[in-house]
Amino acid sequence: MKKNSVASCICVCICMLFITSCEDELPTMANYSAYAFAGLDVNGGSWTPILLTNSDQISVATPAAVTSSEYVAELASLKSTMASLKSDQRRAIEYWTNNPILRWNEITLELIAKYNLIPGPNDDGTYTLPNAAAPEGPPAFPFAHPPYAVRALAYLSVAQFDGLITAWHYKYTFNRPAPYQVDNSINSAYNQNNLPSYPSDGAVLATSARDILTVMFPLEKEYLKGKAEEHLKSLIWAGINVASDIAAGEFIGTEVAKLALDRASKDGMNKAQCPKSVSDSIKAAAFNRFGWQWDNLELPTRPVGLAPLFGKVKLWNVPTVEEVRPGVPPAPGSIEYNASLKELVDIQNHMTEEKRRIANYWQDGLSTYTPPGHWNKIAKDYLLKYKGNPLRAARTFAYLNMAMMDGGISCWDTKYYYHYPRPIQQIPGFKTIAGTPNFPSYTSGHSVFSSSGAEVLAYIFPAEASQVRAWAVEAAESRIYGGIHWRFDAEVGTTQGKNVAKYTIDRAKQDGAN
Amino acid sequence: MRKYLLSAIALLSLGAVAPLTAQTPSDAIMMKQKELCFALIYDHGSWNQYWEGTYLRSNQTVATLTRKMVMPMVAIGIMDQLNLFVGMPFVKTESSEPNGGRFQGVQGFQDLNIAVKYEMLKKQLGKGKLAVLATGGYATPITNYLSDYRPYSIGNGTNELSVRGISEYKLDKGPYARVAVAYLFRGQTKAERDYYYNNGSYYTPWMDVPDAWEINGVAGIWMLDNSLKVEVNYYGLKSTSGDDVRPYNAPQPTNKVQFDQVGFLGQYYVKKVKGLGVLAYYNQVVNGRNWGKFSSFGVGGTYQFKI
Repeated sequence: MKKNSVASCICVCICMLFITSCEDELPTMANYSAYAFAGLDVNGGSWTPILLTNSDQISVATPAAVTSSEYVAELASLKSTMASLKSDQRRAIEYWTNNPILRWNEITLELIAKYNLIPGPNDDGTYTLPNAAAPEGPPAFPFAHPPYAVRALAYLSVAQFDGLITAWHYKYTFNRPAPYQVDNSINSAYNQNNLPSYPSDGAVLATSARDILTVMFPLEKEYLKGKAEEHLKSLIWAGINVASDIAAGEFIGTEVAKLALDRASKDGMNKAQCPKSVSDSIKAAAFNRFGWQWDNLELPTRPVGLAPLFGKVKLWNVPTVEEVRPGVPPAPGSIEYNASLKELVDIQNHMTEEKRRIANYWQDGLSTYTPPGHWNKIAKDYLLKYKGNPLRAARTFAYLNMAMMDGGISCWDTKYYYHYPRPIQQIPGFKTIAGTPNFPSYTSGHSVFSSSGAEVLAYIFPAEASQVRAWAVEAAESRIYGGIHWRFDAEVGTTQGKNVAKYTIDRAKQDGAN
Repeated sequence: MRKYLLSAIALLSLGAVAPLTAQTPSDAIMMKQKELCFALIYDHGSWNQYWEGTYLRSNQTVATLTRKMVMPMVAIGIMDQLNLFVGMPFVKTESSEPNGGRFQGVQGFQDLNIAVKYEMLKKQLGKGKLAVLATGGYATPITNYLSDYRPYSIGNGTNELSVRGISEYKLDKGPYARVAVAYLFRGQTKAERDYYYNNGSYYTPWMDVPDAWEINGVAGIWMLDNSLKVEVNYYGLKSTSGDDVRPYNAPQPTNKVQFDQVGFLGQYYVKKVKGLGVLAYYNQVVNGRNWGKFSSFGVGGTYQFKI
């Protein structure tokens, strides 16, 4: 009897070991290390920036020569710091890598997911909206829904792109070599290359990200300050920049962030979540024009849809929102409408595992990084695959996020112009596997975000064109499988995204990077 | 020795269904070698309030959530001191009408639950008998249900290994008291998305389902010549880690689920039909975290015979 107990005890222990050993550490960030860049883009300083009129609009002083006493002192300080690195400093070097724009993008996506929570009702059935003037809430500011998310990403990416074009311009104007090229006893943590070190590109990224994200996510001010400080220090710990390289980069980052934030303060976003009176008149206008209107069916009813005037926010590359607005959707009762209705009912009544998987894979709903975030994640994967340098990475994110923000603006214009009802409003008893959002149906936001993003990625990574376009179509279809969009919402939205992206791609074709 | 039914219910609840059934997790009764028992229990649970973290709230997106379960089960006496249990619950969830979410409910077979119970000690002690037992259980999903669809998901969608110690003291006159403590080793469940937020970003479809402690206390009495048993019970589940449900957001499998539940149960062995037993119970969750304030009742029948 005693023997048996011992035996069963051992058996249980072995089983436990088996179960726990299967539990690998789950990834919380992209698993990559510093890598050799596919190219350095020596002419990057001549590319056309987005917000700046040219690459020397922000002026940076001529650096001290590497033979100067100032530089010698900076180099000595760098060497002594590098000689006594602690484990947390080494971890910071490993974390930031030599393409830290990817880390700042991840930080942004995480903040989006953290703040992507829709405010719930108060006890009396009213709703309180997040308020930028009192960000603590509740509810906390912001509600990082897809339009908010794509806008934050666009300003961050555009500022970083312009900042790095400026940095490249001065790098190849002054040609100050990296510390490890001045003193070959310095063993830098990252792959050595011939990229001039002044001004520091890492410092441009750290300061511009800190300043822009602090405005977009004001409650994260201290967190972002800490992240930027660590990043800036890691540039010395890694042996790639001396203090004056960093100071010049910080200056560029700060200045370019100011420009971006100035545009953001005037782009109309602060009026996007309009009062109920305006929202009601938009709805009435659509009803008078078309004979239908979208209604929110939540309990308690939300008085205003999400960001009715986001369609009026300033576009990046499309001259007017009207020129990319699709035509009128099929009227309820029409042949095309009836076919779409039947399809929706059939799908929900015969849900397959594959359709369910697609609906969930692309859902990117509340408490996630949203569809624009998903496409940033895809861009990050390709930048790593093709070993892009920070400037190429900044360019990719800038065009990607400008196109998706323009896509979002165009989509929201369409949504509130046509004010088309959702399937749950039209089909009695209809139930869905995805949450129905608080805005009109036509066209699908996922479809426009995804196809506009996919078109930019197809342009930048031509070998991936068929893959990203197939994903965009799948993302659009996923909303039909989720039960929250008509087929024409998805299909017209996909075309709309392509049309919108064309303006951004035309701009990219002329920026001098090809 | 046909009064072992609770152990069968208990062992069913060893699996991922545990927080769902919150049944009496185990008892001290053993079936003799070559005895076989079939059981069928219907469980009906519902809530219209849940704990978001530790904040008890209602949510008209869900309105009232109902969870119905049918639990078929078989128990086998391998040896006098070693019993085997196998169960396979069918679960159905849905929201009441009207609700603001219009979400589809879910139904399907959940997990295969297998458990063995071993009687380590049974002896006369004063005016009663002391029993010490240990159980080991394993549960694994048998259908491709989606765990990442709370509150409608029908289970945790992961493998679970459990170890439990049970101790009971029963007076010869009928009253008894029992304590059981279990640790549930839970694996990871696979979502259908490759990014989620759990106090930070996770770039993977795999979610850690927290391990949990399970505590069970029972006081009861046998009456009517050992044909009727009534008892009151406490059941507690305490996840050892995990995040809180985010404000006005859906729960997810990574949540730190905790709750305390009290209930009573009656079980009657029909004298006219040898081997037949019936039972009924009622449970109420009284305190919790990231879990519904369930009220549930169950009815069931058992039939036992010798092979």
